[in-house]
Amino acid sequence: MNRTPLLGLSTTALRVGATRGLVDFRNSLQKAGDVTYYIIGAAGFTAGMVFLRDQPVPELGISTASIVFPNALAIMMLFVATYGLATLVTTEREDGTVLRLSILPGGVTAYAWGQTVRTFLELVFTFALFTVLAVFLVPNLTTEGVGGVAAAVGFLLLGVLATLPLGFVIGCVFSNPRSVGGWGFLVIGALVAASGVIVPLGDSPLWVQIIGQLLPLYWLGLGLRSALLPEAFAAAEIGESWRTLESIGVLGIWAVAGIVLAPMLLQRVVRRESFAQLAQRREKALQRV
Amino acid sequence: MKKGLTMHDAHRTDAPVIDVSGLSMAYGSRVVLREIDLQVARGEVIALLGPNGAGKTTTIEILEGLRKPTAGTVRVLGVDPLHADLHHRARVGVVLQSWRDHARWRVREFLHHLFVLHAPFLDDDPSWTVDALLERVGLAEHHRARIGSLSGGQRRRLDVAVGLVGRPELLFLDEPTVGFDPHARREFHELMHELADSRATTILLTTHDLTEAERLADRILILDGGRISADGSADELAREVAGATEVRWRIGRDRFVHASDDATAFVRELLAREPEATELEVRRSTLEDTYLAMVARSESTATEGASQ
Repeated sequence: MNRTPLLGLSTTALRVGATRGLVDFRNSLQKAGDVTYYIIGAAGFTAGMVFLRDQPVPELGISTASIVFPNALAIMMLFVATYGLATLVTTEREDGTVLRLSILPGGVTAYAWGQTVRTFLELVFTFALFTVLAVFLVPNLTTEGVGGVAAAVGFLLLGVLATLPLGFVIGCVFSNPRSVGGWGFLVIGALVAASGVIVPLGDSPLWVQIIGQLLPLYWLGLGLRSALLPEAFAAAEIGESWRTLESIGVLGIWAVAGIVLAPMLLQRVVRRESFAQLAQRREKALQRV
Repeated sequence: MKKGLTMHDAHRTDAPVIDVSGLSMAYGSRVVLREIDLQVARGEVIALLGPNGAGKTTTIEILEGLRKPTAGTVRVLGVDPLHADLHHRARVGVVLQSWRDHARWRVREFLHHLFVLHAPFLDDDPSWTVDALLERVGLAEHHRARIGSLSGGQRRRLDVAVGLVGRPELLFLDEPTVGFDPHARREFHELMHELADSRATTILLTTHDLTEAERLADRILILDGGRISADGSADELAREVAGATEVRWRIGRDRFVHASDDATAFVRELLAREPEATELEVRRSTLEDTYLAMVARSESTATEGASQ
């Protein structure tokens, strides 16, 4: 069928989207619930780092905190850009935000770009917060110098491309925000367990290793460790190597898949959106209260 | 319509703004609309009435391009709304029966946000501003309030402002004045009259408020059982129902009621014939009487049809 694309690039829609992202992020910082979530996250991170700081990893002779920091960044990325975004997209499909914008000229582009900008700002804010804390709490943070920091930033940006479109995809595939929020949390937990960011993946059963290495979180964690830890520590990884090219390759595949799929799914979702559906979901949501 | 027709050409043509023929809609085996034909001319104000579940919202959704009809052709501003482009979207305003979106946004900030989306499609009119619009819907003093903190009526008025922000040629309103106080309702009616008169905005609204339909609409459509069971001005509809006017009088201790199509002639004759008649009352049937009579009539037809 010859349909006019709902998602198109126009400077107006992108500008409006950027404003949307800023306003949504500012609103979130003014919301007690969201601020509490940052404070709890920061407090948990601080407590963990203080506890782990003086515990060296036996074979490596380095503080456990140094290894946990890049892993914590990788987990936060998945949590904010995939889980958080997916939950928001399903919520805003339910509450009519998406429908409201879908009937405006350029509204879908503005929505998608707005959520992208908002998520990016949240990531920058979260990583800045954690990095500032880490400067005080993590020993030998910058052993790899400017090159290491640059590589870490590079992996973080690649990580955004791999995880953020995935957030849109999940948010479009599932339509119940309470399921995404609840079950999604368990799935994130399972992913974290299978991705070598809590215990080295090499110590896990083979089938867990296979699943872990198909998912982006393992490779993001590995990339960040390779950027922030001394070269010799690669010995503790699978294949006793940082596998930098493989990391870039797998994250790149996830990024391309997400960037191709997300706009297609978003358009499909928008076309199926209607008032009747909105009313149905509203009734369902109210029944739960 | 010819390809490459610009907006200004479209203003000049006398082609109907809404042109629907043979429109049917079924959800699975449940038929909601049966072969509806409808033409709406530029600047007309149409009220769509009908019992709950009569297909009002479905009709509006199809005209907005949110649903694909089962059969029939639909042209809105000359195009099939299912294939509408950005330009088309910019010419159509929609007032949703909204819920709780953008709750944390501030009123003016939100309206301005949507105004900017429409800006490339708006011709220069210095009087068409976000602040003027907020003034018109009576939300100027709440411009800093968070949308989530508005009352139901205020929220509804914001929805109306949202539908108007792009200065649409065609405006769809789904139960626009639910939750309005009488003052806000009057303001809203004035705004609609102004849009229709001075801007030739075509307006299609659904409502359960029959007084509102009578005050606003040039034409009233009653949708019932998936068909348009009546189509005309309030007066025309009243004339269609037999005994449009009720005449009451008293002679001695007896009271009389007579329903008449031509009350004037009836009363003239009555007074000539019955000089004793007193307490004469002539009451035009209201749109409500007409509506109830028409819905009852089409229900009984449907029952007869079903029992055969």
